[in-house]
Amino acid sequence: MPKLTPRMIISLLIALALLLLPLITDDDNILTLLLLTFLMAGLASSWNILGGYTGQVNLGHAAFFGIGSLITRQMWLGGWPFALSMASGCVVAGLAAAVIGLPAFRLKGTYFAIGTLAMAEALRITIGNILPTVTNLPTEVIRNYELAPRYYLMLTAVLLIVAITIYLNNSKLGLGMMAVREDEDAARAVGVNVLRVKMIAFVMSAFLAGMIGGAYAFYFVSYYPNFTFGPLFSFDAITVLYVGGVGTVVGPLIGSVFFVILRDMLVKNLQGVHQLVFGLLFIVVVLVLPGGLVEAWDRIKQYVRINQSPTKNQHRETKAQTYPGENLH
Amino acid sequence: MLKINQLEVAYGDIQVVWGIDLEVPPQSTVALLGPNGAGKTSSLLAMMSLLPIKAGAVQFKGEDISTKKTHEIVESGLVLVPEWRGTFATMTVLENLEIAAYTSKARPLQKQTLKEVFEIFPRLEERKMQKARTLSGGERQMLAIGRALMLQPELLVLDEPSLGLAPLIVDNIFDVIAAIKNRGVSILIVEQNVQLTLESTDYAYIIETGRIVQQGPSAELLKDDRVVEAYLSL
Amino acid sequence: MNIILQNIVSGLLVGGVYGLAALGLSLAFGVLKVLNIAHGELIMFGGYIAFFAFSAIGVDPFLSILIVFPVLVIFGLVLHGTLFTHIVRFEEEDRIKNSLLIGFGLTLILQTIAIQLFSADERSILTAYSSAGFELGGIRFPLIRLGALLLAIVSVVLLEIFLNRTWAGRALRATSENWQTAALNGINVRQTYFIAFGLAAGLAGLTGVLLATGFSVAPSIGLQWTLKALIVVVLAGLGSIRGALFGGLLLGVAEALSAYAFGSEYREIIGLIMFVIVLSVRPQGLFGGDHA
Repeated sequence: MPKLTPRMIISLLIALALLLLPLITDDDNILTLLLLTFLMAGLASSWNILGGYTGQVNLGHAAFFGIGSLITRQMWLGGWPFALSMASGCVVAGLAAAVIGLPAFRLKGTYFAIGTLAMAEALRITIGNILPTVTNLPTEVIRNYELAPRYYLMLTAVLLIVAITIYLNNSKLGLGMMAVREDEDAARAVGVNVLRVKMIAFVMSAFLAGMIGGAYAFYFVSYYPNFTFGPLFSFDAITVLYVGGVGTVVGPLIGSVFFVILRDMLVKNLQGVHQLVFGLLFIVVVLVLPGGLVEAWDRIKQYVRINQSPTKNQHRETKAQTYPGENLH
Repeated sequence: MLKINQLEVAYGDIQVVWGIDLEVPPQSTVALLGPNGAGKTSSLLAMMSLLPIKAGAVQFKGEDISTKKTHEIVESGLVLVPEWRGTFATMTVLENLEIAAYTSKARPLQKQTLKEVFEIFPRLEERKMQKARTLSGGERQMLAIGRALMLQPELLVLDEPSLGLAPLIVDNIFDVIAAIKNRGVSILIVEQNVQLTLESTDYAYIIETGRIVQQGPSAELLKDDRVVEAYLSL
Repeated sequence: MNIILQNIVSGLLVGGVYGLAALGLSLAFGVLKVLNIAHGELIMFGGYIAFFAFSAIGVDPFLSILIVFPVLVIFGLVLHGTLFTHIVRFEEEDRIKNSLLIGFGLTLILQTIAIQLFSADERSILTAYSSAGFELGGIRFPLIRLGALLLAIVSVVLLEIFLNRTWAGRALRATSENWQTAALNGINVRQTYFIAFGLAAGLAGLTGVLLATGFSVAPSIGLQWTLKALIVVVLAGLGSIRGALFGGLLLGVAEALSAYAFGSEYREIIGLIMFVIVLSVRPQGLFGGDHA
């Protein structure tokens, strides 16, 4: 039985609060804000599995989000039960990753990144050509539209992803992923099946992105089908993750809260400026604070600790990048 | 001319050189000998500012160069022919030699030096329009040394010039080194080929696992029993 | 038959601009081993400067090159000095990865700035001769696009001369092959990086001018053009200047023909497909492989 740390208690309390919120309040604005936060968190967390833990930068993440939302939406509006539609969305997204993965992983590092970007763009354009018209929720659905179920669906999806990330943090598979991230050759030398680990991470990441996509299809009233394939979803997820703290459980969560709050605050003043701020933060993170807000918080704690305790021996990471993926924050 | 003082070099947490002292007086030829992994190349790269210096100082012509940038060190007359030869594979032999006269000191003398280099290495002149990657190992080494000469070195440092080369070519190279020495250039040779190097130099240092274990006039070391046993017996 | 020929010609004319776009990216990537994802944004800014030079002061776009080029070079130097110069302390693999990420952040910043400054509308430069052209054998040659292709070819020739006949240019080639050997050669590598990046930005600006004149610019075109440039670089292979031009021409023709065969909605896809195929099958590019 794992020890109940204060961290765990706080996390559970927060989760509980989020679950109970729709029962307490009727304010659609708050629920929507939170829902969008969950959306960001879900996208960022799912990307984190391949990008943060396994170290493979996939710039085409939106493709899987898009596939999930497309399949879900088409099936659901075509008469199939929603649960089945969403499940299918996830599965197809995962399958897509399985199919693309083998050829894609033959590309090294950067080439993998730009290759996935190209593939996602190609998919976006194709979908845009095949389905050029907006997809609208049917009128009965709009008339009876309630935000709460959408809220719960997105929340559940995100909690699931968080749970999986926590599992990865402490499992052999997760260790394998992190080993691949740090040094592929070394990992191979100690017996890690590098390709297998990458593929698992890729498929998991895609499946979960597809799940978030399905929740999105349930939520969003009307949009162009290829909108969800847009690079914006990939890029926002990645920015949010890095600013929050890549490779950690809590990074994407902090990052997305920060992002949505900032966007909400700034939208009133200047359109799109939140993007600029995030772009700057992103660069700061890459250059100076690779662990994002999570690392910033750790450093503050360390600083406080140094000044309080007599022992001054703090081992500082000298490498240019630090990916704190070890502890449950 | 060159004074290395208590030099320490480390790759992150792994230290490879533990405080060596080495001197190359003007107009002399000095050897730094030792087995693989002894820290020879690391010392040279640190001296040229291609590796960080953990501790210690390097002085060239009386000036402290430990904080200087590589191209500044080269400009002051200290030239290294690295272990990896350092030729540009995609450029022709001629282009390689021409670009080699890059420093402000060497540029005005480019044409003249080129002629001299071709005199020393006629083979290079034959192949001057060939891409460097088509050259044989020995020719590559000649090109590397020729390039170093284009920079008008006052102290020429050679990192394992005989590495991977046939004995005949190695003899050739050491003849060239003697010729260079005769032009008044000081030389520091880092080598594993102990016999030939001791025969060609005035003074030698022996380095093992990052420390100088022995030093002395080369002629004496050639006769020293310990050296003979450790390095000269096949 | 005529239609196909017309398509090929149009493709070639566009291809010149593609090649030019790739040139800057290839230079930065080759010398600094840095992948500037914001390259498209630099192109975009170049286009806007040309547009405003034209609409505000009436400068002919082809003349505005004299303004745009230096401005973008300076911009590139500033970008390098503040951002990319910090990445070059990393090892090559990390360098590329971090430059990707930084370029990322940069696209967000530059795009937002562009929207704030220029509004999100599409802009195009319309000169007196914008629709002028001549016919040869039943095929139409629009003057502006012909001018663009000519400019691209001239740029390639000038760049080659610079890289092969000047000290600074050869220093660039040396550094792109092996920076340590270049440093030992007395080359100031830090300075060379600056020159390469500034030049790359200048070339991007040039591309932007042609874009604004023959086509259009909008704040959102950044990613699309970075991708185009990337595709051409991959097709051509790193390190090949002429290859970049030929790769651009190839892409242009491929796009035109596929639009003709499958419909204009599929114009963009062919490039992406070729990209992925070449990446997987012949990563060193079709014309390259000269790079160590």
